Amino acid sequence: MSNLPVIEFNHVTKKFSKQNHKTFKEFLPALIKGEDTINAFTALDNINFKVQKGETIGIIGPNGSGKSTILKLIAGVMTPTSGQIHVRGRISPLIELGAGFHPELTGSENIYLNGAILGLKRKEIDENYKSIIDFAEIDEFIDQPVKHYSSGMYMRLAFAVAVHANPEILIVDEILAVGDQAFQNKCFAKMEEFKKQGVTIVFVSHAMETVKSFCDRTIYLNHSKIVGDGESKKIVNEYLKND
Amino acid sequence: MGQLISEIKDIIKWKELLWQMVGREVKARYKQSVLGYFWVILNPLAQMLVMSFAFSLILRIPTNSSGHIPYSIFLFVALLPWTLFANSLNSASSSLVTSSSLITKVYFPRTILVLSTIFAKIIDFLFALSILVIYMIIYQIPITISIFWVIPIFFIQQIFTLGISLFLAAANLLYRDIQYLLTLILILWMYVTPVIYPADIVPAKYKLLFQINPMSVIINAYRQTILGGSEPKYISLLIAAIVSFITLLIGLFYFKSREKIFADNI
Repeated sequence: MSNLPVIEFNHVTKKFSKQNHKTFKEFLPALIKGEDTINAFTALDNINFKVQKGETIGIIGPNGSGKSTILKLIAGVMTPTSGQIHVRGRISPLIELGAGFHPELTGSENIYLNGAILGLKRKEIDENYKSIIDFAEIDEFIDQPVKHYSSGMYMRLAFAVAVHANPEILIVDEILAVGDQAFQNKCFAKMEEFKKQGVTIVFVSHAMETVKSFCDRTIYLNHSKIVGDGESKKIVNEYLKND
Repeated sequence: MGQLISEIKDIIKWKELLWQMVGREVKARYKQSVLGYFWVILNPLAQMLVMSFAFSLILRIPTNSSGHIPYSIFLFVALLPWTLFANSLNSASSSLVTSSSLITKVYFPRTILVLSTIFAKIIDFLFALSILVIYMIIYQIPITISIFWVIPIFFIQQIFTLGISLFLAAANLLYRDIQYLLTLILILWMYVTPVIYPADIVPAKYKLLFQINPMSVIINAYRQTILGGSEPKYISLLIAAIVSFITLLIGLFYFKSREKIFADNI
């Protein structure tokens, strides 16, 4: 069991059968005229890769190359059109932080809400509560509604909750662009710590230097296909050459 | 059926999230407005007063063949659960759309989004119920043991509500018109349900229509057990229970069949 890959994509293809017509007003005339209401678009085309436990893997590529779709498939919020995906372990997504926050609720209430969204039990949140607040550095604002938070505070709180979700697989999507240098350093320190603990990290970024230094291995996506997979420095240089 | 059982197991595993989501809805509303929960009570109260004026003083709708019950109480007993039904359907139908940012990011059982909005509406309902209790004390409406029938009747109502809600929530994600259509349907539905008039003035030839509409049976059963002090019509209630349960199975089946493409369609 232990040497099975943590993430496995076998011939994964994802097509979006995006419905063009969201309302009856658009849908009915199209139906009468016999127009095709389904417009297929291939976001990922026959993707194969394996990630072993403890690997830190970067995913790079131009906009629209399918990076986010891969993350959504790993997170289990989307299902592939064909092919198989196996994900083994508890996932903590850091995609667009704070998606589960409610602006009217206080920081404290949002910690519990967001923790529950990530699958934590109340007891687990209680145990980590102090450490979450310390990590986020928002001690004095914890009983204020988060709508009064600055975007930096907002992000810090969300990151703090997600890293305390005890992940086995951490998905990080371009989040560290916000936040000041000090907090970014703190986040990377935390992620280095995860690396040492054997947490698998999937890291999507346009910051090539970071990918080079942080990731063991990098997958390069272009036009819905994998065009490079290997040692980070080599792949990033390839990407920069094509750019 | 198997689908229902496995979904229930899944929800129990994620019960923490369900309570947090219910709490979120309730707290957020309370904090957003100055009067907070007062609105939850004021709304049905105002509606009841206006409707009582229109239907009892102007149109003079009778309450019950036997009744000496004031129209306002007669109306309120039906209007409260109807409002619960309508509010639940309205908020459930948009529940997935409003949580789209979560659906595209984190995995958890999607039924929780629908369930939590319904639970939040039930809490509103319990607040509004306090007026009915006060009202009944003031008018000294006799209460009998048959009041306990309210519990299974309420349960049937919620099964029916959940079934339709699951269907609407999933369908609304694909066709946003559902929300607007629903508003229209709910208005019509209220008038074919004995909310503002007693069930026994429904002409015999429309009785069938009345039978197959679970809301008619449910609303009428509330009146019989709370105000009439009698037991509900067992056969009608049993049919309503069966229809409600089948509705739930169909609603869940549709929801689950669409669930995989929720994130694709937002």
